Amino acid sequence: MDDKSKETPVLRKTFENELQQLKDEILLLGSMVEQSILESVEALKKRDIPAAERILELDKKVNAKRYAIENQVMIVIATQQPMAHDLRLLASIMEINGELERMGDYAKGIATINIRMGEQALLKPLIDIPRMAQKGVDMLHRALTAFINEDVEAARLIPAEDDEVDALYNQVYRELITLIIQDPTSIERANWLLWAAHNLERVADRVTNICERTIFIATGKIKDIRSSDDEAQKLKNSP
Amino acid sequence: MNGPSIQKPEIEFTDNIRDRNRYGRLWVYIFRFSTIIGIIALATLLFNIINQSSGYVVYEAKGDPAALTLDGVPIEEQTKDQLMRVLSSHLSKGAYSKLDRTKPFAERSRNDVYDLVVERIVKYEVVDSWLLWDSLTRKDEITAAVEEEYPEALLRFDVWINSDFLRRPQSSNPVIAGVRTAVLGSLWTIGITILFAFPLGVMAAIYLTEYAGDSWANRIIQTNINNLAGVPSIIYGILGLAIFVRALEPLTSGTLFGVTDPTSANGRTILSAGLTLGLLVLPLIIINAQEAIRAVPNSLRHAGYGLGATKWQTVWSHVLPNAIPGILTGTILAISRAIGETAPLVVIGASTVIYFDPEGPFSKFTTLPIQIYQWTSRPQDEFRFLAAAAILVLLALLLTLNAVAVLLRNRYSRRY
Amino acid sequence: MTHTIEKIKTQRIKVSEKLVYVLETKKLNIYYDDFRAISEVNMKIERNKVTAIIGPSGCGKSTLLRSFNRMNELVQGSRISGEVLFHGQNLYAPDVDPVEVRHRIGMVFQKPNPFPKSIYENIAWGARVHGFKGNMDELVEYSLRQAALWEEVKDILDHSGLALSGGQQQRLCIARALAVQPEVILMDEPASALDPISTLHIEDLIRELSNHYTILIVTHNMQQAARVSDFTAFFNMNGDRSGYLVEYDNTNQLFTMPKNKLTEDYITGRFG
Repeated sequence: MDDKSKETPVLRKTFENELQQLKDEILLLGSMVEQSILESVEALKKRDIPAAERILELDKKVNAKRYAIENQVMIVIATQQPMAHDLRLLASIMEINGELERMGDYAKGIATINIRMGEQALLKPLIDIPRMAQKGVDMLHRALTAFINEDVEAARLIPAEDDEVDALYNQVYRELITLIIQDPTSIERANWLLWAAHNLERVADRVTNICERTIFIATGKIKDIRSSDDEAQKLKNSP
Repeated sequence: MNGPSIQKPEIEFTDNIRDRNRYGRLWVYIFRFSTIIGIIALATLLFNIINQSSGYVVYEAKGDPAALTLDGVPIEEQTKDQLMRVLSSHLSKGAYSKLDRTKPFAERSRNDVYDLVVERIVKYEVVDSWLLWDSLTRKDEITAAVEEEYPEALLRFDVWINSDFLRRPQSSNPVIAGVRTAVLGSLWTIGITILFAFPLGVMAAIYLTEYAGDSWANRIIQTNINNLAGVPSIIYGILGLAIFVRALEPLTSGTLFGVTDPTSANGRTILSAGLTLGLLVLPLIIINAQEAIRAVPNSLRHAGYGLGATKWQTVWSHVLPNAIPGILTGTILAISRAIGETAPLVVIGASTVIYFDPEGPFSKFTTLPIQIYQWTSRPQDEFRFLAAAAILVLLALLLTLNAVAVLLRNRYSRRY
Repeated sequence: MTHTIEKIKTQRIKVSEKLVYVLETKKLNIYYDDFRAISEVNMKIERNKVTAIIGPSGCGKSTLLRSFNRMNELVQGSRISGEVLFHGQNLYAPDVDPVEVRHRIGMVFQKPNPFPKSIYENIAWGARVHGFKGNMDELVEYSLRQAALWEEVKDILDHSGLALSGGQQQRLCIARALAVQPEVILMDEPASALDPISTLHIEDLIRELSNHYTILIVTHNMQQAARVSDFTAFFNMNGDRSGYLVEYDNTNQLFTMPKNKLTEDYITGRFG
């Protein structure tokens, strides 16, 4: 402090390292979730039951990771007394951690649907649902990158893409309703797919939450970027 | 991220623990040696004084005490009336009535009369004396020598410092010379010194530390006070002579108050001496009191001010009570110095030989150090023994003063 | 407790009720000889709130605190420019007596500094100095109760104040300050010399006292400022600039979302 050197010395190296480590863990958890979403949809598409069972295993790991991160955040808060930005970052890590775990649950939901469907064949070949998964995972990936870099601009832009997922969902919804009207006996099989699509739609919603957190870290302001889905809330009866 | 890595240079230590320990021990020896030298010096001093303060003394009476036996009673056991009869029969009428005029016999005690008999008729004189050390180690030799040389004489082991010594006034005969005049003179002088210098010094110290700012003038005053503490005491004597004895003579001689007869009065009084010694110790008291006041933690002052107390309230209630032990210690040191001072008193004219007690601040006087000085300059050995005894009295006086001050200090500092 | 004290208190509150701000500085500069320790500070202190002053060592926060009851005058060579207003009255106006200022604006110091007298005397002295005419026993009890010390010392009032533990001593000092009925209490790192438990006692006490008193506290400990204060002022200094006010805000706001980068760096411990 007496020394007026131009470069700011890095203070609290241990703390910085701990924060960095937590961010890395979040990225790791994110990639695990991304993998389970993509694979769960892939397994559904191929009606691959063993693959679906592997997703259930993967979800256990996701849950374990989530608790590990949560625990680590607690330790850092207790030992480092974070303030201001650090505190917001840790609170956000806690929040995002939960969001990712919930996304993992959606993937698990799709895998469960797959298993429950048993010998039944798909009502129709999957086209839009894999697209929803692809889009959702893509959003998630970029949202996590924005979070790591605290890139507010990117974080502000991503939630708008939720519309695309919503549009795909609506398309799937209409398509399935049409099929049900044509053949009321297909209602159960249509319902399976509707649930899967709904799960993927929720993934995209939760990506929005991650982006909100990223903006909060940088600005300290928390607000709903898109007050979305009241109707989706009603439909939330996924397994 | 962690900056450039640091190259560790070659680091080697020599194994020097033994050398370092040895070096440390060497110093301890030197310190111990210095302490021992001091102790030896002190012990020598004490031995010397004590050695001279008692020992065998050979007395020879000019008159024969046996001849004074009255009604078969030796003078040692006679009553006052018998002693008076002895006196009147051996002294001329004029000498006897002169004694009565100085102090009527009716007022004299039996012991006074006995002293008179010894002084005027028996007239013991010291013919030889030995030091304490010799008296203890060569007792037989001494007894033999005395029997051979002075068959008539009285050999006695005398402690020079005894109740008679303290009780008796100065005398030209060492056998009956005492230290009372000098002790009283010292006490009077020191009393006046304390009354004068203590309040003045403490008040000046309070002003200088608590009130005076850090101005140019104050710094000069401060420097001067510090320097005054180192001025040789004789210079204070000259100052006292000029101011108190000469310039303020009407005051110091007591004529101003009609206490003394203007014709015989002069300023060479206890008051002059006390004030001179007061001037001498004033800088010491001021400096010590300042130190004590400065040593009071500032946090106490701040606590006082923080409550909205005025400066005076804070000083009076907190600074002074906490400084008192230190102030007293400093004052003791200063007074101890004053009580042993000789030079300034000689300059302002303390009497070296004085046979009557000082009666007040306007009396002529002598003090213990002057008495000691005067006795040591006498040719007879016996006066040197008296001087040694007087030194012991002076030491005792100092120790008493210190003890009183320590008691006072403990009383104040134990309050909380 | 006593009628007199209650009366004094209610009167006081009435006087100040109109004003939300008890203290205010206007373009305050404090100098030590040629060195400027505080520059151009404008801040308002809200009534019956705890305001914390934080900042790195040497930023002049203690100096600022002491200027509120003119204790800085005790340092040789210190002078100020600008104004410190207490209920709108400039404390540094020529007709204002610093003794009166310190009566209305009390102070608690970093190191507990009870007088080397009995606990009772510690409390009573200040009141007596100001010519207190009421029941001293009641005042002592009231002050000690306010400082949450009564239960611990009620049986040892004649013991030395110095015989208490550090935390108790500091509460005694707070009780002592309360006994002269100030409106504002300045606290200069009141817990920095205490153990953690005593520190928490003092912090609780500060929160409690803020119901009746305006409290200004200087602290090195950011968590402490965060815990006890309603408002926090962050001061900084650098090579070219002496102690200046960087940010002054609601404590909740300042510790979660400071507006200034320097504040952020300071409270997150990345002060370069």
